[in-house]
Amino acid sequence: MPSVCFYFQVHQPFRIKDYSFFDIGQSHLYEDDKKNEEILNKVAEKCYLKTNRKMLDLIHRHNGKFRISYSISGTAIEQFEKYRPDVLQSFIDLANTGCVEFLSETYSHSLSFIYSKDEFVRQVNKHAAMIKKYFNQVPKVFRNTELIFNNELAAFIEGMGYKGIICEGVDRILNGRTPNYLYNSVSGKNIKLLLKNYRLSDDIAFRFSDKGWAEFPLTVDKYKKWVYDVAGNGETINLFMDYETFGEHQWESTGIFDFLDHLPGAILEHPDFNFKTPSEVIDAYPARDTYDAHNFTSWADMERDLSAWLSNSMQKESIKRIYSLEQDVKACNDPDILNVWERLQTSDHYYYMCTKFWNDGDVHKYFSPFESPYDAYMFFMNVFSDLECVLKRKMAALNTGDVENAKRIRLQSNDGELIKDQPALSS
Amino acid sequence: MKNNLPKVLMLGWEFPPIINGGLGVACHDLSSAMSEIADITMVVPKTSPGFKMKNMNLVGINNIDVNTFDSLPQNFHTPLPFKLHSVPADINPYYSQNNSEHSSQFMGGTKNTTGKEKLEAFNIDSLYGGDVIHKVMQYADITASIASTMPFDVIHAHDWMTMLAGIKIKEQTGKPLVMHIHSLEVDRSGPDNRGWVYQLEKKGMEFADLLMPVSQFTANNITKHYGIAQDKMKVVHNGSMHIQSFKSERKFREKTVLFVGRLTRQKGPEKFLDIATRVLDVNPDVRFVMAGVGDYLQNVLEKSSYRHIGNRFHMTGFLNQEKLRYLFSVSDVYCMPSVSEPFGLSAVEAAHFGIPCVISKQSGVAEVLSGALKFDFWDDKKAAGYILNLLNDDVLRRKVVSDASTNLKNITWDISARKIVDAYAEKQFI
Repeated sequence: MPSVCFYFQVHQPFRIKDYSFFDIGQSHLYEDDKKNEEILNKVAEKCYLKTNRKMLDLIHRHNGKFRISYSISGTAIEQFEKYRPDVLQSFIDLANTGCVEFLSETYSHSLSFIYSKDEFVRQVNKHAAMIKKYFNQVPKVFRNTELIFNNELAAFIEGMGYKGIICEGVDRILNGRTPNYLYNSVSGKNIKLLLKNYRLSDDIAFRFSDKGWAEFPLTVDKYKKWVYDVAGNGETINLFMDYETFGEHQWESTGIFDFLDHLPGAILEHPDFNFKTPSEVIDAYPARDTYDAHNFTSWADMERDLSAWLSNSMQKESIKRIYSLEQDVKACNDPDILNVWERLQTSDHYYYMCTKFWNDGDVHKYFSPFESPYDAYMFFMNVFSDLECVLKRKMAALNTGDVENAKRIRLQSNDGELIKDQPALSS
Repeated sequence: MKNNLPKVLMLGWEFPPIINGGLGVACHDLSSAMSEIADITMVVPKTSPGFKMKNMNLVGINNIDVNTFDSLPQNFHTPLPFKLHSVPADINPYYSQNNSEHSSQFMGGTKNTTGKEKLEAFNIDSLYGGDVIHKVMQYADITASIASTMPFDVIHAHDWMTMLAGIKIKEQTGKPLVMHIHSLEVDRSGPDNRGWVYQLEKKGMEFADLLMPVSQFTANNITKHYGIAQDKMKVVHNGSMHIQSFKSERKFREKTVLFVGRLTRQKGPEKFLDIATRVLDVNPDVRFVMAGVGDYLQNVLEKSSYRHIGNRFHMTGFLNQEKLRYLFSVSDVYCMPSVSEPFGLSAVEAAHFGIPCVISKQSGVAEVLSGALKFDFWDDKKAAGYILNLLNDDVLRRKVVSDASTNLKNITWDISARKIVDAYAEKQFI
């Protein structure tokens, strides 16, 4: 009895502003509040509220047989708290149905697993605490930023008590096998892997409105048949995508909401098919084979690797610099500094610096608030320099035992305004 | 009142408010100083209607009325004393007007354009956009017409854009032609460039009566690359306006090394990166700042990150004068690693701010700023050593700065202006 397993990614970064060289030492307000608010409002109207309403309706209409999961980054939740509590409430309403699972991820949607295990653990725990606070669930299944995955991560996350992990079903690793079964990792003992069926996922997420696609237009009947085709050769069809697919990447005028409205009913017409959340899939099915991801994989770009964030020297330099501050950031015991540093780890900052300009460049450009990858790098490094200056001064004061002075050295702007947004929760 | 003063017809290209580089500043400041001792008419492509200069007749072609222009004698067909083949320098893919019409022609025998069409060539925002050569030709025709209505003793043309005009006017009037050389195609595009601009420069300089390069360095380049004898030249170093300098408090701890200029091959931006890399190897507590834009920006930025000095190497992009001066006011060393710099006014500006300068020997300013540490542009090791010494050694720093401040007394536009008028007299142009 195959299951369809939906997981939707909800994430918003705190985008930084055009922070110039002249701002260093002058202003500690790094983020573009106006732009962040505008974008959140836009996406809230076009996607989050509308889609959440639809999901709630579908869950009720199918008497709980339609089941889904979300992973919501900490930075997205913080923006909901700050700008759109109505969006947060609509997710809480979904959680209250009992048909929705919330997954675990790094709090700031970071690449911390690659650079610092300590920071990774801190962020995963902080995120879990936030999920518990708002949705009253303890996450059991982990998904790393942009489905970045390797064998080591499977073992590591198992050690943290998780029973499953979400990853991309990469052709070169599957090597002809189907992504529609649960897999074991070569390094974890019991942890189960849910592999994204990227063909069926991307049919909705990327190709739905592509007039150049041979299968255009995509109807529920057509899609339903592709899903039915899995019968006999799979137990879970993992449809993983950005939540913004609905209404934002695929505009309402493409008919995406109608498609969503009819899809669950159509799939449930077949008596052998049902919907399950990732935890339910893991409880229902055994792992059928082993998935060996020696190198890092992800769901990004054509390469399905780390190149979207870490392929050029600017990306590598900026991220190394950020993690080089970790020790001092944690030693100085200043929640503002920790909070800012955490947000600068958000993978989007490095994504904007990507210079791959083929098919994928379009996507990078679409998401970037900057005119060029070079601007993204320059402004980021200026921010870094300012943060480093403050941190160094503070540490120098602490190291000489001048605790009072150290307390005064903060991320404070000239007009005395403290940077806003204390951390939502301290871990 | 100016009856007894020599009458000079000056031909300029960049001029306030349209300034792309040092040329506009130099033309403005020089003509302003000269206007005290000469009767100057300056013709430039574009000025703001309200912009006036004391003691000087400033003509902006964009402000000329079509009817007035049509009533002037129109000597558009004065033949050139040499043949210069032209193809349109229309490298902007979005600019496709009239492409086929002037696909190939000989300069000098331009097609029949009306006065209105000629004036329209300057109804533009950028002096270098679109077909520059077309603009240069129209400028020559228009200034030749203007010249035929006024008395003057000397034609004084600034750089290649105005050479064609100077040549035409000399042909038409027989007056002596002085060419002021602020920069050469071999500086901008490298010594191997032998394109159209180079040809115009060569023929123009051969045809002129006297050349005034802004440095001995440039005079030597003219001899080396254009084969023109030194005795046809009179070096006139640039001056500098007095700058009200000030100091500002740095907002960060690290000492700062500054580069100002277009990020092009000529200015050696990659050399600055090499120097920065060497300095940071020894002393990581220094910041390097590059102010300017250009086609080397991306390349230099990527290299700086590749060398892991992204946290100490900053690029500001284009800056207005106020921000530039602020940068001077917080910097500790000025570094100019130009590959080929006819003069280098920015180093003089740095000296006004009391910043020690580390400059390449391949620059004109090196000839007048003895209070500066000098290196061959390829010797980044030497430059890095100088910078480290200046940052660590207050005695050296104070000495260099005070020597430079003595030099500044002799780097004035009044001195340059006097030299020019004296040269006119010496050559019996006036």
